[in-house]
Amino acid sequence: MRFKAIVAFCILSLCAFIVPACGQATIKIGVITSLTGSQAAFGEAHKNGYAIALDEINAKGGVLGKKVELDFYDDQSKPDQAVQGVSKLVDQDQVPMLLGSYSSESTKAIVPAVMQRETPLIIPTATADNVMDSKSPWIFRICAGANDYAKATIAFLKANGAPKKMAIVYENTNFGQSNMKAMTAAAKEAGIELVAVESYEAKSPDYKAVLQRVKQANPEVVYFCSYLLDATTLMRQAREVDLNPKYYTSAGTGFAAAEFPTEKGAGKNAEYTFSVSQWLPEAKWPGSKEFDAEYFKRFNSHPQYHAMQAYSALRVAAAAIDNAKSLEPAKIRDAIKGINLSSTSFGSIKFDNGQNQHPVLITQIQNGQYRVVFPSDAAQAKPIIPAPAWSKR
Amino acid sequence: MVRFFQACADGLLTGALYALIGMGLALIFGVMRIVNFAHGAFLMVGMYATYVLFDYFKLNPYIGFLPAGLVLFIFGYVVYLLLIRPVRDRSHFMQILMTTGIGLILTDSAQLIFKADYRQTNIDLINRSVHIGPFGANAAEVLSFAIAVAFVVGLHFFVTRSLTGQALRAISQSPEVAPLMGINLTRIQGFSFALGIALAGVAGGLLLPRLYLFPGVGEDYTTKAFVMVVLGGMGSIEGAALGGLVLGLSESLTSLYVGNQWALIVDFVLFLLVLSFKPSGIFGRQRA
Repeated sequence: MRFKAIVAFCILSLCAFIVPACGQATIKIGVITSLTGSQAAFGEAHKNGYAIALDEINAKGGVLGKKVELDFYDDQSKPDQAVQGVSKLVDQDQVPMLLGSYSSESTKAIVPAVMQRETPLIIPTATADNVMDSKSPWIFRICAGANDYAKATIAFLKANGAPKKMAIVYENTNFGQSNMKAMTAAAKEAGIELVAVESYEAKSPDYKAVLQRVKQANPEVVYFCSYLLDATTLMRQAREVDLNPKYYTSAGTGFAAAEFPTEKGAGKNAEYTFSVSQWLPEAKWPGSKEFDAEYFKRFNSHPQYHAMQAYSALRVAAAAIDNAKSLEPAKIRDAIKGINLSSTSFGSIKFDNGQNQHPVLITQIQNGQYRVVFPSDAAQAKPIIPAPAWSKR
Repeated sequence: MVRFFQACADGLLTGALYALIGMGLALIFGVMRIVNFAHGAFLMVGMYATYVLFDYFKLNPYIGFLPAGLVLFIFGYVVYLLLIRPVRDRSHFMQILMTTGIGLILTDSAQLIFKADYRQTNIDLINRSVHIGPFGANAAEVLSFAIAVAFVVGLHFFVTRSLTGQALRAISQSPEVAPLMGINLTRIQGFSFALGIALAGVAGGLLLPRLYLFPGVGEDYTTKAFVMVVLGGMGSIEGAALGGLVLGLSESLTSLYVGNQWALIVDFVLFLLVLSFKPSGIFGRQRA
């Protein structure tokens, strides 16, 4: 009996080694994202963006003559689960490279695990700048970061009325903290006084006291760093406490989610809010409209930049593997370093010390639609300033 | 000054729901001397029950919380018979392990069935507000408050006036003697456990429209309920209700004057202070 068990165990262990080796008819790329949990809306956008890129790549014959397959790991919007994902995808499934995760918190958590395994990672959406702190040659980021957000917002404010008093309201994890720090520095440099800096826990049902404190400080600008559910509640409660700054600005994310201006999000309360954005269907880059059309055809909604960033990350990964002509992680890493795409649907893509230099747009929600209002060469509409008081809406 | 009173009003609106949660825990503790570490998990089950009624049957959460409470009552009774009664006479340690285990199983089952997604009900009422002079409040929160107060008052009269309520109090005063007076221990304990769970379920249903729903949502409420029960004096049902109001007020005022991130810390500092200096609770009453 015992002997049989040992034999069975040996055969099973052998299979575990042989099966991945036999299964190399496709090329697997590892993807970590938040398919469930508090950030599921963004994980969904990731998944959709990846799906479109995958089909485009495979329609053209895949890479290195093989079909590409995505190996998803759902981090449930939790950093510790994201780290588990690195172990599962790299150690067990032996993927040659990784894309992900969604949030800054999860991404920061996986960076050391990825470096340790010497596997290339392309970060599609994490804006906290500390995800790039390691300066590791294995880490690449395709999106713009918190500092770019703060600078773009400040440039927009300077060009549109130059307000002097700002309040920052941020969710208390890596994303919110680093965007708060970036904005604090940028505001100081621009001579804007910070009259209130308030953090909150995203799980809390009640931000009214926070918003009361902001109201008491009487800022001209409020800068929110929030995910989707908190952004929705914040705007609803801003109405309840009758907080009326001239400008509602934000570090994108929740305020830039496709659901935010709809009934599933803040609905009418979202009107007039400004947000940074990294991409819109109307962006002037070639392929943007086609991506939007394809996305709408498949998922019956218009994509936001999170989907585009996932799409671009996978396109870059495929191009790099093609250029590397190998599945060796070190060769793929060098190929990503050498990527220089001048006209993709996400603008030009080229990595300087792992960071892609990407321009940031400012949008405003007007009649339930995101409209680009800054910089002027990309603007589709004039910004509406000040936001009307709640009592007059 | 307006801000102060506004924050007090907001605190009481939340506090009434806390009171409901705390009373459920106090009821179970008072009658059985069992600390229910699964209390928050049962609250979460109540939220999912209300959510399912909302999602599949389009039942407004402000009606759906009633059937959800009923389901939780039956569920609580079954859990009592199968899992709690066997450890009734065992050590506190065993009971704590048992209720903690039940909580973990409930949370993980919810994760298995509903995934880790955050859900919201987004009913129309949540976007309306009520204004009285310079004060404003969310209409949904006012409705939750009114229902919660009705339950708190109802429970108070039930425990003090009805025959079953008297039996409850008799057992809580002396679990050895009460059965000799003809009180059916298992039935009354099962009933009070189920009622405590139903109260948690009702509170969950009332919280649903103003909160997000995810499997781990209850965890904070177990510890908060614990704080309320200690604030009000262990086992005192009315004390726990007051403890809930105090907790709501302290959270709201802390958020206003110190900062939102300090609210939970103040909760637990209060908890430690009361335990150290006035273990009978801030209102100094003995158990019901």
